[in-house]
Amino acid sequence: MAAIVQSFDSKASATPSSSDAIMRVEDISMRFSTPDGVLTAVDDVSFAVRPGEFLSVIGPSGCGKSTLFNVIGGLLGGYEGRVSVAGETITGPHASIGMVFQEESTFPWRTVVDNVAFPLELSGMAKAQRVERARHFIKLVGLDGFENRYPSELSGGMRQRVSMARTLAFEPKILLMDEPFAALDEQTRLLLGDKVLQIQQQLKQTTLLITHNITEAVQLSDRILVMTYRPGKIKRIVDIDLPRPRTSDIVSSEAFGRYVAQIWSDLREEASRGMSDDEKTRQGGHPR
Amino acid sequence: MAHAGQLTAARTPRPALADPVTMVRIAIIVGVLAFWEVLSRSGWLYRDVVPSLVAISKAVGELLIDKDYYWNLGWTGFEVAVALGIGGVGGLLAGLILGSNKLLGKSFEPYLYYLGPTPKIIFFPVMIMWFGIGPGSKIALGTISCFFPIALSTAAGMRQIKPVLISVGRTYRANAWQMMTKIYIPAMRHPIINGIRLGLGVAIIGTLLAETKLSNKGIGFLIINAYSTFDMPRMYALLIVLFVLSIGVNALVGRFGGLDKIKRS
Ligand SMILES: Nc1ncnc2c1ncn2[C@@H]1O[C@H](COP(=O)(O)OP(=O)(O)OP(=O)(O)O)[C@@H](O)[C@H]1O
Ligand SMILES: [Mg+2]
Repeated sequence: MAAIVQSFDSKASATPSSSDAIMRVEDISMRFSTPDGVLTAVDDVSFAVRPGEFLSVIGPSGCGKSTLFNVIGGLLGGYEGRVSVAGETITGPHASIGMVFQEESTFPWRTVVDNVAFPLELSGMAKAQRVERARHFIKLVGLDGFENRYPSELSGGMRQRVSMARTLAFEPKILLMDEPFAALDEQTRLLLGDKVLQIQQQLKQTTLLITHNITEAVQLSDRILVMTYRPGKIKRIVDIDLPRPRTSDIVSSEAFGRYVAQIWSDLREEASRGMSDDEKTRQGGHPR
Repeated sequence: MAHAGQLTAARTPRPALADPVTMVRIAIIVGVLAFWEVLSRSGWLYRDVVPSLVAISKAVGELLIDKDYYWNLGWTGFEVAVALGIGGVGGLLAGLILGSNKLLGKSFEPYLYYLGPTPKIIFFPVMIMWFGIGPGSKIALGTISCFFPIALSTAAGMRQIKPVLISVGRTYRANAWQMMTKIYIPAMRHPIINGIRLGLGVAIIGTLLAETKLSNKGIGFLIINAYSTFDMPRMYALLIVLFVLSIGVNALVGRFGGLDKIKRS
């Protein structure tokens, strides 16, 4: 156990040099024009992601996390700044980036195995081969036995795992997830967190997780990027020096509690700023 | 004890015949037939306008061994099939274009909405002039009949697709053809199948109506022929057979593409 902690620590203390990073996000700003004027959703955000790292972005609701997610995924244009993968600037959905969405995104007309095989089907892989690959990833997310079910026959948590398996089957260099478990209850969320940890430790999958759940972020991450409320800037980057491999048991440890408390105090400031902001606009918008 | 017995009795599935709904349905049919028979024997209506069930059954039997009938049925079936093919593909394409292009959709849709429910038979004289009194004009009328419901329900279905499913396709870098065949069309399967169902119905109506107006072959022609020679049993026999056929075809379309196996979202 001690050896694991040590080896992990030595890895975590290495700072990413520019050549080391698998993905760089540089000076990203995104503005929307709304009826009330220009809204800056993301303001000058920069960070780098190391290969094999699990990085979480946490921030209060409405701080621009999904906007950032869509920019990095190449689904949204019209931003300032640059996102690059292995030195290559992205201009649209990139083959190295796989996305798991917050919303339910399985195809209801496809069985589990056909859902997971979808990206392989697009690339023209032969049927027998892609079914075999799909089964592998279905097993990885713990859904073996459900291969021939339709999404409507599964629970919400199982459907999110199908989406995850589907994106893993795409074999992206970087896995991008936007609050994939937001719609689930706390217990399911923790257990799915276990699954994600297992998979991440097995595949050494570079992962960028967007979340507003502190427990989830600390449980899973190597580093956490805390964002401010509108405009969405980076407030702080927290290194999580907790031993790996981890399980959901870690949430009851003392060190875990300290991280949670630290991030919560950062976030509380931002969240309350967001709330008073909302009140102000409400009062301004509807004078009595 | 008696109560417990009742509960178990309620749980065991009853034979279909004892089901009250089935009973009432059977009663309705028997009632209608009885009423018909009374009406035909009463002499209240002009002679032979309501032939007896015996005469009609005999006519159905004769019809089913009549080569001429199958030849005309073949023509009508052919006309409907071609109409559904042309109108269906055209409607699907139009719906896809109008659904995906906001400007075109907004500009064209009012016309589609107003033309859609208009009885297409009013175009029949024009179709006769353009395509003659043969199958051409019937196909044309069937085509414009089924074009509208299919185009409208495809366009509406296109707008109901969950945007996240389109994002999923984009992130896996699906090309335009793959987006169309693997995401848009399957995501719209329910509105499309519904459109085809409605389209089939109006294509049959349009074709038959055109055949009864002016034609030289087809079931509509046979019906109007039986009518004008005052062969009432034969006319009713044709109507009955046609009715059963339409129900059968509709049921078939309902199962089209394994609809009942594909789960709803
Ligand atoms: N297309 C758009 N047009 C105008 N404003 C937008 C658009 N998309 C997002 N916004 C605004 O940008 C801000 C950030 O939104 P975003 O969805 O990125 O927040 P978020 O951090 O993901 O919130 P949540 O945690 O609730 O999902 C919000 O104020 C939102 O209203
Ligand atoms: Mg969001």
